[in-house]
Amino acid sequence: MDCLHRKHLTRRQFLKGAATAVALPHLVSVPSLLDPPPVHASGESDLIIAKQGSPTQLLQAALAPLGGMGRFVKQGQRVVIKANIAWARTPEQGCTNNPELFMALIKICYDAGAKRVAVWDHTCDNYQFTFSRSGLKDAAQKAGADIFSGHGQNVYKPVQIPKGKKLKKAEILRDVLESDVFINFPIPKHHFATELTLGMKNLIGIVWDMEQLHKIDLHQCIADVSTLRKPDLVVMDAIRILTTNGPKGPGKTEDIGEVAASSDMVAIDSYGATYFKNPKTGKPFKGEEILFVKHAYDLGLGQIDLAKVQVKRVSAT
Amino acid sequence: MTRTVQTLRRAVQTLSFLFLLYLILRTAFPLELKMPVDLYLRLDPFIAIITLLGKKAFILSMLPAFGVLLLVFVFGNFFCGWFCPMGATIDFFDRVLFREKKRPKGFNEQPLRRLRYGIFLFSLAAGLMAWQLLYLLDPISLITRTLVISFYPPAIYVFNHLIPKIQMILPRNPHIISDIPLPLFKVNLFIFVIFLGILVLGLVRKRFWCRYLCPLGTLFSMTSRLRIFRRSVTNECTHCLKCVKDCPGGAIPEQEPQTYRQQDCVSCLKCLDCPPKAVSFKFAFPRWKSVEQVSLSRRYVLGSFGFGLLSALVIKTNPLQTESTLKNNRLIRPPGSLPEDEFVTVCTGCGQCLKVCPNNALQSTLLEAGLAGLYTPRLVPRIGYCEEFCNFCGRVCPTAAIKPLPVEEKRLIQVGVAHINKTRCIAWDTDKICLVCNEQCSYQAIVGDEKKRPIVKEEKCTGCGICENKCPVDGESAIIVYASGVQKILTPNNNS
Repeated sequence: MDCLHRKHLTRRQFLKGAATAVALPHLVSVPSLLDPPPVHASGESDLIIAKQGSPTQLLQAALAPLGGMGRFVKQGQRVVIKANIAWARTPEQGCTNNPELFMALIKICYDAGAKRVAVWDHTCDNYQFTFSRSGLKDAAQKAGADIFSGHGQNVYKPVQIPKGKKLKKAEILRDVLESDVFINFPIPKHHFATELTLGMKNLIGIVWDMEQLHKIDLHQCIADVSTLRKPDLVVMDAIRILTTNGPKGPGKTEDIGEVAASSDMVAIDSYGATYFKNPKTGKPFKGEEILFVKHAYDLGLGQIDLAKVQVKRVSAT
Repeated sequence: MTRTVQTLRRAVQTLSFLFLLYLILRTAFPLELKMPVDLYLRLDPFIAIITLLGKKAFILSMLPAFGVLLLVFVFGNFFCGWFCPMGATIDFFDRVLFREKKRPKGFNEQPLRRLRYGIFLFSLAAGLMAWQLLYLLDPISLITRTLVISFYPPAIYVFNHLIPKIQMILPRNPHIISDIPLPLFKVNLFIFVIFLGILVLGLVRKRFWCRYLCPLGTLFSMTSRLRIFRRSVTNECTHCLKCVKDCPGGAIPEQEPQTYRQQDCVSCLKCLDCPPKAVSFKFAFPRWKSVEQVSLSRRYVLGSFGFGLLSALVIKTNPLQTESTLKNNRLIRPPGSLPEDEFVTVCTGCGQCLKVCPNNALQSTLLEAGLAGLYTPRLVPRIGYCEEFCNFCGRVCPTAAIKPLPVEEKRLIQVGVAHINKTRCIAWDTDKICLVCNEQCSYQAIVGDEKKRPIVKEEKCTGCGICENKCPVDGESAIIVYASGVQKILTPNNNS
């Protein structure tokens, strides 16, 4: 029953979105999950926030209103996940992805028919230590995914960034560029330099000389890199977030117990910012207050104003 | 029969060399091998005795070495002929590259045989004065160091170039495997040339190094004079001198091939290949007496010893040495290292820590720590930083020059302190936001001020050098770790 109920909701959601945004009559008459509306068209952004439940339940609940993983992953496709495995920290410290959610994400991709799921990160600490301490190597292997570290320059491909304002070229993980489906899997964290680490900051881990970006203009570079290969889906792991001493920690953590999913990388970052309090105003951060989110919005990568995004909160249980 | 013995011996030598190679390759993350990866060094009685003298304390991990010494009393220098990886390498090159006819004939061995004892005494005296020259000549340390420093990086280079080819034939294409970061060691050429030199000496005599230079061999010679497993020759000997020619240790005198210098015999059993079958090896009562002894005059012995003492003193009073800790504050020792004086006395320069370091952070010194500190490890943060949860260097050190510490203890050791060069720092020099050093710091020792400019908290800084390593400024880093002289232990609550 539950399943049917959810499916019904999905369709209505879809119909509403299509009607308000594009208002194409033929789409209203042929409602179909196999024929979703264009993902990045403005005003159509869907942002689902799932609360209450085990990581696996949260993920399923967050994806269902978007049309399930089947909307993003088709039979036989190669999926690349950019996880956050940057630091040699344990899962409890909230600096790297939740292993259980991570496994659920890989499994759900395979269930949707993925041919291969590869997980990548260009780690900051030595990859051998981050992979083992975070428990994510074991998790990936258990779930049947390949886990790769970008510690060698040979796995990157030099590319031009035509839409970049300050960063005109960079070396990007070849596997990400050539993937059929690209999923960004960030964990929101405090960050001294950029205030917060959100989805687009996580994407810096697909760049070879990450540290060099600080020399140019970090915020603009984050936005510029995000123009290259837009993630088809962003799954934000907000089960436990790091609120101080980020991004490496260890610091204070907060159990939010949420998983957010969206195909709009700006909207989800704008939402992710609200988990944290702005020390200057004492109120939760707004997307505009995080410069890289603002820059990404200016580049037309998505919707920053949450009032203009269809935000849907669901309970996983 | 004799042919099988020689085939067997070559097989054992090859296996022994390959096993060393395997152990060296396994001297790496995650370091979970059941046996000690420094097994060969632990079997080296020479290192055991010298560290015992230098450290004036017994190192339990070196206990197996004395077992080897006991076996030498029975079988003579069997280790040299059968198991020594250096000996195996030399044997191989002697066989492949240098034929007997190339070698000069009629040459007086006496001075060279004496030289070996001279070097030994010289180095022993130097060792007592804490100049560990002997370690540089120890064959196990030497071969390990050579393989790690000179041969491991080229092997990785080749491997990295083969990766794309391997990927083409892999079934699960497209697999993308990262290159292994190329390990860099600045002294690799120097060590390579020395290694080549040792091999080329084979032009003069078979196993030149083993006969005339190797200090481990000298130690074995002294003990194996009393060997029980001895060669005996019957009257059937026809003086064909085949055994004289074959003997890799030059232990059989040309005038009297029925006898031999038991101290120089490496128990290779090549002389069993005797046309009249006059040679055999039997267990017999030990005898100290030997033929054609090396004439070690009192003058020679005392001279070598005294010269060793004096040389060590001269080296120790050289400014390179006296200032190595005081004024050279870029000489950062790995965490858990003994105090500098003791460290250079005990470190054998085997290179195991250099190999195991996951970030290639440890580098071999040339003159940075003075002549007495040749080949000792130092942390060079711009090349690699000390990984927070790694204690591998201490765990592989055969002589505990770097103490084996639990990770939690190692995390509290301050090997140096980072200092910011504000004229080079992006955040201090321009209005850009950088803070890479703060982001990377594992110990929260770097904080940002109100303008997001980095400030170092000395009481939390361990000197791991991740900040210096990752600093995006070109060339010399804008944040540099300077050694703190003596390693300190930070208070844990500072570090949580």
